[in-house]
Amino acid sequence: MCVRESIRDTSTTRFSTTANFSRFNFSGVNLNFFSYGPRRFNRPDGVPRSRHYARRMAEKTGDRPGQRYGHVCLAYDDPVAFETAARDFLAEGAAAGERIWYIAPEAPRGWDFRPELIRLGDHYPEGSVIDPEQGLEAYAAATRRALADGYSGLRVAAEATPLVRTPAQLDAFARYEHLVDRYMRTHPFSALCAFDRTELGAAVDELACLHPESDAPFRLFAPPPALGDAGLAGDLDEATRGLFARALDRAELRPAAGDLVIDGEELAFIDHNSLLDLDEYARRHGVTAVLRTRLWSPGHLADLLELTALRVEGGR
Amino acid sequence: MRTGAAAGHPGYFHAAVEYDSDDDLLEVTVPFLLDGVANGEPSIVAFGERTAGLVRAALPAGSGVEFLAGGDMYARPSAAIRAYRKLLERHVAAGAGQIRIIGEMPVSAFGNTWDWWARYESAINHAYDDFPLWSMCAYDSRITPGEVLADVARTHPRYAVGGGRHVDSPGYVEPRLYLSENRPPVPDPLQDGPPTVSLTGPTPAEARRAVHAADRGRLPAAHVDDLVVAVSETVTNASRYGRPPVHLRVWAGDDRIVVTVTDAGPGPKNPFAGLLPTTEAATGGRGLWITHQACDHVAAWTGVEGWTIRLVAGNPVIPRD
Repeated sequence: MCVRESIRDTSTTRFSTTANFSRFNFSGVNLNFFSYGPRRFNRPDGVPRSRHYARRMAEKTGDRPGQRYGHVCLAYDDPVAFETAARDFLAEGAAAGERIWYIAPEAPRGWDFRPELIRLGDHYPEGSVIDPEQGLEAYAAATRRALADGYSGLRVAAEATPLVRTPAQLDAFARYEHLVDRYMRTHPFSALCAFDRTELGAAVDELACLHPESDAPFRLFAPPPALGDAGLAGDLDEATRGLFARALDRAELRPAAGDLVIDGEELAFIDHNSLLDLDEYARRHGVTAVLRTRLWSPGHLADLLELTALRVEGGR
Repeated sequence: MRTGAAAGHPGYFHAAVEYDSDDDLLEVTVPFLLDGVANGEPSIVAFGERTAGLVRAALPAGSGVEFLAGGDMYARPSAAIRAYRKLLERHVAAGAGQIRIIGEMPVSAFGNTWDWWARYESAINHAYDDFPLWSMCAYDSRITPGEVLADVARTHPRYAVGGGRHVDSPGYVEPRLYLSENRPPVPDPLQDGPPTVSLTGPTPAEARRAVHAADRGRLPAAHVDDLVVAVSETVTNASRYGRPPVHLRVWAGDDRIVVTVTDAGPGPKNPFAGLLPTTEAATGGRGLWITHQACDHVAAWTGVEGWTIRLVAGNPVIPRD
């Protein structure tokens, strides 16, 4: 009976669907990131998977451990949530000697540090469709300038809702998000991209799922190059099938060499249709995809489905 | 070109052998296999250790008969169908005019999990019918329960009776009819108690979390992962093809997790659903087939709440009193 009660308690906790902006302390280093209770699964030993992953990434890449990915998507319902998240995100950058940009209609109030206030139209082609390559180059140039000016990097919090109001804007911006994500893995640039969920509705997931840190059901992102050509985290099932297909299309994944390696260390679940879609994606692009995961079921499913363009490694 | 009793028979020639002595078994088995070899037909035995030993000893050295590990072949019905179909495809591709197989299920299949093996015995009349297969399913009447033998009679079109002769099984029922019968499984004792987790109208993601929440860490991670796949597929199907409300109930035991998913609809129309992969896109058939591959026992039935499918990961065998 006790066990039942405790399981009930656990389930109640894990069924919470409220996204919290949480502060964690890993190995004595402050880490800010969004915690999405039900969307971040813990390992059987109770240690958050993300904690293992942060350590593994740091081991493999020598990254600054305080910076997990540095690319966060905030889909907010209340503008106050953006201002609060931006403050925490940018405060870390200020402490680390980075140039910090706050891209929003108005200056923030009550902060104990002053970011540079940038108007959306000063940096983005507001009102038109972004060119992904040009958008990337604009931030690459700004990052180079920040370094030339003596900063350790560039950190941006941007309220970007006006840039994705039409389907064409959203599609181009999603493609741009993945390019920027890839750039961030190897350059001292980080960003918090905020979108108003009350205005964009479910479309916000199309952007959020291309950020390594977001409350999208799954995330397709650029991992540190040593870990693979793409990272896949979260839950992929029937509900995300269309979203996954669009994300794959927009990310335009290409192998650095040989097989297309997908790091699924943080994958919580992938259903058979999503595996079939991944297999088909690889075949269409003339590559063999390799999905690396700690889950057992994807390997079992790949065997059952006799996939030929997707190989699953893992189950441990 | 087919030989022996199956000569001229199109498709699958499916027979049962009910024996009550080792001599009886050998009297049917040995000529069946040796005639097959003599006619250049792949001749295969899928028996357990004891009976395989008997047959081996009765065959001449270098007989050409192939032995499979029967216990491995009969772990899960849908997996057995998949494995046998692959084996048959290989032999046909290599030019076999007929394939002969004699198999025997382990005694452990005759308890509370017999229901899905009975469905297997019925379904294979259809599942292997596109192959020139002559197979015999051996049942030792000394150790096989009467209710199992009754299902054997209903799922096999004929009996092999020695001397190369066959007699029709008067109780045989066409698989579509047999598989459409409502067959509630033996209740698992865990189901007598309140569920560890109970949800109404869960999303597949919530259902997956419910299984993880109920898991006490006593099953290997691979089994839990596979159960999570099965539950996710089942709840997806219930939501897409069933009728609300959908109820998910999970019971965690010492050596198994039992899950039921109930919806108010009538269940799948295809009587082979789960046992055979389907090419019909809009039926959830592939998900149900994966579910049957991923669990250690699956049963489905219609009751007062609607259609229920029960999944077991871990040890599904309930000890007899």
